[in-house]
Amino acid sequence: MTPPGSLLEARTLHKSYGPTPALDGADFTIHPGEVVAVMGPSGSGKSTLLHCLAGIIRPDSGTVRYGEHNLTTMNDARRSALRRSDFGFVFQFGQLVPELTCVENVALPLRLAGAKRAAAEARSLEWMERLEVAEIGAKRPGEVSGGQGQRIAVARALAGAPRVIFADEPTGALDSLNGERVMALLTEAARDTNAAVVLVTHEARVAAYSDREIVVRDGVAREMAGTV
Amino acid sequence: MSLLRSPAGRAGRRSGDRGHTPPARRDPPAPLPATARTGPVGWAHDLLLGMRFAAGGGREGWIRTALTAVGVALGVAVLLLGTSVPTLMDSWHGREKARENLGQLHPPAPADDTILYASTNTVFHGEQIRGRLIRPDGAHPPVPPGIDRLPGPGRMMVSPALKELLDAPGSALLRARLDYEVAGVIRAEGLRGPAELTYYAGSATLNSPRAYRIDHFGKEYEPRPMQAPTVLLVVMTCVALLMPVMVFLGTSVRYGNERRERRLAALRLVGADVPTTRRIASGEALFGSLLGLAGGAGLFLGGRQFASVVTLWDVNVFPADIAPSPLAAALIAVLVPAVSVVVTLFAQRGITVEPLGVVRHRPPVRRRLWWRVLLPLVGALLLVPMSAEQAWTDTPLNTLRLTAGSVLLLFGVTALLPWLVDAVVGRLRGGPVPWQLATRRLQLNSGSATRAVSGITVALAGAIAIQMLLTGMKTGYADAYAQSARERPDAGIMGSVDSWQQAERALTALRATPGVTDVRGTVDASFGELGHARPDDRFGSLAIGSCAELRKLAALPSCRDGDVFRTGFDAKGKNFTPGMAIDLNPQFMADLPASPRPWKIPPDIPTARLLSPGFGPGNHSYDLLATPSAIDLARFDHPFMDLEVNYDHADPDTVERIRNSAARVDPTMYEHSEVDNPHDAQISGVRDGLFFGSVVVLLLIGAGLVISTVEQLHERRRLLSALDAIGTRRATLGWSVLWQTAIPVALGLGLALGCGLALGSLLLAMIDSAVMVDWAVVVGMTGVGGVVILFVTALSLPPLWRMMRPEGLRTE
Repeated sequence: MTPPGSLLEARTLHKSYGPTPALDGADFTIHPGEVVAVMGPSGSGKSTLLHCLAGIIRPDSGTVRYGEHNLTTMNDARRSALRRSDFGFVFQFGQLVPELTCVENVALPLRLAGAKRAAAEARSLEWMERLEVAEIGAKRPGEVSGGQGQRIAVARALAGAPRVIFADEPTGALDSLNGERVMALLTEAARDTNAAVVLVTHEARVAAYSDREIVVRDGVAREMAGTV
Repeated sequence: MSLLRSPAGRAGRRSGDRGHTPPARRDPPAPLPATARTGPVGWAHDLLLGMRFAAGGGREGWIRTALTAVGVALGVAVLLLGTSVPTLMDSWHGREKARENLGQLHPPAPADDTILYASTNTVFHGEQIRGRLIRPDGAHPPVPPGIDRLPGPGRMMVSPALKELLDAPGSALLRARLDYEVAGVIRAEGLRGPAELTYYAGSATLNSPRAYRIDHFGKEYEPRPMQAPTVLLVVMTCVALLMPVMVFLGTSVRYGNERRERRLAALRLVGADVPTTRRIASGEALFGSLLGLAGGAGLFLGGRQFASVVTLWDVNVFPADIAPSPLAAALIAVLVPAVSVVVTLFAQRGITVEPLGVVRHRPPVRRRLWWRVLLPLVGALLLVPMSAEQAWTDTPLNTLRLTAGSVLLLFGVTALLPWLVDAVVGRLRGGPVPWQLATRRLQLNSGSATRAVSGITVALAGAIAIQMLLTGMKTGYADAYAQSARERPDAGIMGSVDSWQQAERALTALRATPGVTDVRGTVDASFGELGHARPDDRFGSLAIGSCAELRKLAALPSCRDGDVFRTGFDAKGKNFTPGMAIDLNPQFMADLPASPRPWKIPPDIPTARLLSPGFGPGNHSYDLLATPSAIDLARFDHPFMDLEVNYDHADPDTVERIRNSAARVDPTMYEHSEVDNPHDAQISGVRDGLFFGSVVVLLLIGAGLVISTVEQLHERRRLLSALDAIGTRRATLGWSVLWQTAIPVALGLGLALGCGLALGSLLLAMIDSAVMVDWAVVVGMTGVGGVVILFVTALSLPPLWRMMRPEGLRTE
């Protein structure tokens, strides 16, 4: 069980890739509706922390708790199911399925969770309208701009009504104007739905959208002074 | 200007300045002089560079090169085999011509260098054995190729295969029949092939009517043209085997295209221009095809060693016979690598490798149907009139029409498939996520999948058509044999004869053979109308036998030795009336003079109605019947006994004992009705071989599909990791891979079935056979298609799982 009020909590996470340690006793906590930026230099372990928190990889030691679930002891299938139902993801390059249309991409997590196609796509269109990309629903990702594609990715992350959104360098491939727009839409939508956002970035202007910042250095996460 | 083509001038300037450089300061190294390479030298350089990339491509690069090489090797081996057929047949016929001389138009007079030579062919347990009996007239007889001297009386020279058969434990009856001492083995130059069963036996008693007198071996003759169904089968087999090989050849040189293009983007980044990158890409394909060329030559040379154990349509040859002509071999050696270069250049016409990646500047084009339909339509137009003709005749034009029609029909299938896949997947909407992922993927790009599947389609269509043809032929032969068994005696034996007593001895010997139930026999001879220099069609036929034997042929009013009967059988307008003078030694050919031997048909002879008048199996067309005392057999030119034997088939050795009895009476007697149906085993062998070949081709194409699927997965590694991150089940992506393979394969199978059945029906119509489908083969082939789908999916899953790992999400 996570501490009272927290949604997702990690304690003393250790993870190594071969002889190289990526996480060396990292701690992390996030509350519902909170946006936490995870910052740090390249190779510091921020993405590894995000992957451990999302149950994509299992840490070598330590615990990750999400509500009543201990992600570190869950098997792969249950962690996948949890990711489908409770988590949303935004990646640096969108990672949209190129052969599906934009609306089908947004509907994909819903369909993977068992929703009917029509219902899933209707719901997706609502999110796309909110993110101002409804008009490109029938296009394929290769036919839209980078900013539009990333907004589609945000819509995909939000469509399943996740409780936690994991965003790994969501603006890394965008110009500053598009980056700002995506971040504004992402954080606004997350707050509206009371979803927590774990935002991995190395850009201070992106981190500025967060409520709290954590710096990962040498595999250890530390709270930034001055943040809530 | 790219670095690869940088001008030489700048380098020259720098090297000229070198002497003024202050010693304390280290200049950057001077650029190497570069000269723009153009023309053949440029081409060679770029191709070589591509080959070096292919050779240094690491494990995955080598796997792709190996697969290309395997595909090309298979194609080259089949091409070399195909181009060896004329040489093979020349060698085969050449040896046959050199060793044979069954009669000269103008027989020589007996001399020191002449021999009497007779055929003693026989059959043992369904195996044809060529036998020759020889009796030299003098001390310097001609000797056939393969032996140094003729065997003496009671001795024989045998082929290695016959020696082996004679030594086998189950050959006691054959040893009894060929009761000669083995004096030696015939060498290869005296054999048609290593599996041939043949012998030359010496005789001290062989005499003229049974034997030909010859003074040399070697005879000019034209080989018998093949029967129409066999020609169809040969042409179709060549087409059906070569077409998928050609398609596969075209497909296999494109393996690894996408990975190759990415590597070439890096070359563009360092300054290579577009034509250079294309040539480098061609060089990579060239490397695989050159390896394949060497592999194919090795496969061919190794494979032909097994030629001795293969007999197709009675043709069995030595490994050395299977050799393509130097021109054909040179063409293959040049054209196959050239094709790989051209195909790779052609494959790149729609893309441009840019420094930052590959740009496919051709938007997905809508595939046009009209020209794709035109190909099979023209093919069908060539074939349909041939199937409507009364009977297919083997003429060069017909063979060309058949080949062109079949090629167009089968090639049309490969042209239709991309359109069909596009048309079908373009209409697919909705469905579960794996289905949607697969159909959308195919909608976006179905090219690589359909390219590989078109090989399957053409192989299956050809195989189904041939299997139908074989089924039709097999059923036709089986029907013919069943019909023959109803109408004919179980075995018919013929042989030269001097007297009726000799025929009687043969009848007695056959009747005494265990298992024989009935024997009938007469001595038959021909006669002509006296006074005709060239009687043409005016021949009559006469049967001489005892009253008992003649009663088996006709309803005789009464019979005593010395009686003659007219039958009244007048089918050819012949009118040999009682009292008419006939010639017992008619002139059969204009340049074969024959002195007339007149004989008068007795007047007032009674009429005996033939029991089965007519021509063909089981019928008789005698004009006259005579008892032995009525006519002197010695006055006829070539009287022969015609014996018909019925026997109990329960014991398979009965027929062998009958042959032994006949051989004891006279080894030159021969069977004129085939007891064994050799076509069954032959056709079954061809069918099995074809099925095996088709399975190998399909599995090879399946391997190609695996490669292209895994390549595609590799390209989408990051996306797959992302899909895993959002909770996509492995099964979802596994099913999508299966559907992505299954949809084009299923469409290809459907098209192959349609085309194969249509082509097979046309071919069956050409041999006037009822259209029949061997559903077992169709189901088997479809099953193999299904196995290919599962095979591709199963082999694609481990890399799929591997690529779904979170490592793919790492950007640092």
